[in-house]
Amino acid sequence: MTVAERDVEAALPPTPTAIKATGLRRMGRGLRIFARRSPMSAFWGCIAALIVVMAVAAPVLTPYDPLKSDFRSMSKPPSERHVFGTDQIGRDVLSRVIYGSRASLTVAMGAVLFGTTLGALWGLASGFLGGRFDLISQRIIEFLQSFPDLILAMAIAMALGAGFGTVIVAIAITRIPFGGRVIRAVALSLKEMSYVEAARGVGATKLRVMLRHVLPQCIAPYLILATTHLGVAIVIEAALGFLGVGIPPPTPTWGNMLADSLNAGLVPPWWLVLFPGAAITVTVLAFNLLGDGIRDILDPRLRGAV
Amino acid sequence: MYSYIVRRLAFGLMTVLAVSVLVFVILRILPGDPLVAVFGMEGFTKLSAVDRASYMTQLGLSDPLWLQYLHWMRDVVSGNLGHSFFRAESVGDMILRRGPLTAEIAILSVVLSWIVGVPVAIISALRPNSIGDNVSRFLSILFLAVPGFWLGMLIVLGLLFVFGYRAPLAGASLFTDPIANLQIVVGPAIVLGLGQAAYIARMARSSLLEVIREDYVRTARAKGLSRRPVISRHALPNALLPVITLSGILLGFVLAGSIPVERAFGTPGLGYAMFSAVSERDVFVMQNLVFLYSIVFVLLNILVDLTIAWLDPRIRYQ
Repeated sequence: MTVAERDVEAALPPTPTAIKATGLRRMGRGLRIFARRSPMSAFWGCIAALIVVMAVAAPVLTPYDPLKSDFRSMSKPPSERHVFGTDQIGRDVLSRVIYGSRASLTVAMGAVLFGTTLGALWGLASGFLGGRFDLISQRIIEFLQSFPDLILAMAIAMALGAGFGTVIVAIAITRIPFGGRVIRAVALSLKEMSYVEAARGVGATKLRVMLRHVLPQCIAPYLILATTHLGVAIVIEAALGFLGVGIPPPTPTWGNMLADSLNAGLVPPWWLVLFPGAAITVTVLAFNLLGDGIRDILDPRLRGAV
Repeated sequence: MYSYIVRRLAFGLMTVLAVSVLVFVILRILPGDPLVAVFGMEGFTKLSAVDRASYMTQLGLSDPLWLQYLHWMRDVVSGNLGHSFFRAESVGDMILRRGPLTAEIAILSVVLSWIVGVPVAIISALRPNSIGDNVSRFLSILFLAVPGFWLGMLIVLGLLFVFGYRAPLAGASLFTDPIANLQIVVGPAIVLGLGQAAYIARMARSSLLEVIREDYVRTARAKGLSRRPVISRHALPNALLPVITLSGILLGFVLAGSIPVERAFGTPGLGYAMFSAVSERDVFVMQNLVFLYSIVFVLLNILVDLTIAWLDPRIRYQ
């Protein structure tokens, strides 16, 4: 093949299947490296993936309707018919735990998608642009951080009234300052790099340098932060549900189920307490360890920093 | 040092003021109508327009917002925090009665977290990747994921099943009835303490690993000191500086974390009051409690900064 021929071929747009194949292969190779470098994280990553699948496929997986009460089997301990038992009005606990993953994951992902992302973009702008904007932003972030996150989320959720959207907003707001601080620090250190200076020297505008040259470098720390925040958001959502300011009751969420169990009588049946809480713990553990693994692979220097 | 303290306090005061505005905005302005928060959506729709107006005046809610804010600040400064909608006890009295219990839980949990976290970190850091290190790392990762209130519920259930024991439900002061008081406090303190210990062990381990590699530690070993005094006198004091900062931040989060944990244990503390206020949509109690928690949080942060500045001269001169 002559040089000219090769150039022509390189200039031609690759066929879509070719892109797909190489993309998949690259992803597969990345996953294999991930599994070899940190098998523990890969294992928990699989668990996290399974939980996501469980949430998506909830209607297929559940043996019973999570909302339908069966008055012939109320407060029954785990048995062959109801593997996780039933609650005080005869709803199947296993089905409710499976459906609970939907609420948890939707809220957590929504909160991270809005909160952490908004915070990260804000941090990027404030770290990169500097000056007065940075000073004011930092003060605002410090003020937001002068509330413990659960209390801030409680107050906002209570003020806005219960509901899916409000819980997401309440948790998202508590994530903004953390995203802002971490990404600002990254942007500050990137700003001094010589390649950024070079881009400026060539005459690129500030906005272009920020979006084309600094932003891509922030993606790795953002991913690490987002995975950790998923775990935090799940715990806050459960706590809000437990305190009665989360998603309102008929919807099964893990926090609601734990709160319900306290209303089941003087002594809550153990299966109403054990299973929803275990679901929270396993989910949070999975996302935390996945986050640790992602951090080790993407940026070994950040070990323990986020 | 004094100028540092003054600067830090002035900044803290500004933060508290800004926080008060934010609390006010969140709880009074965000939803169109505070009566919705008080009566719930259904209760609100049942009220007639006249009822609504009279409730608003009665609660001082028909004044302009800036005036309402000033009234609230005046009340806070004069120590008159008003009444709950549902209880006879004034908010001030409630804080005085319930606050000490929550403070005890918080302090005890911090002490516990150091007693558990630091030795675990030392064992981990002295033999990285040994069995002990791996076990303690796994445990700390696990306790980071376990929600405190769930652990609390499990403990309550376990004690009830195995020993038929339940902690007293009525509040008891440390001075009049120390035994009952201890029984109430110890459960939440253990749960919250273990949660913090996980963070502290993680932080102390990585910071100790870093410090052990420093030149001055090698020098101390080279001049013939044995391992134990080198760790305890030379390495630990420096390694624990970031842990102190972390512990202060965690203490603030413990205050928040104690809300669901106190609910799980049925502890008659301030956290439980916060839970009641939230579930009863008691806006005024909530407003004052959130403000109180935030003030304590800000003060704790100042205290931590001052402690660090006192221990580490490099910070003071920045």
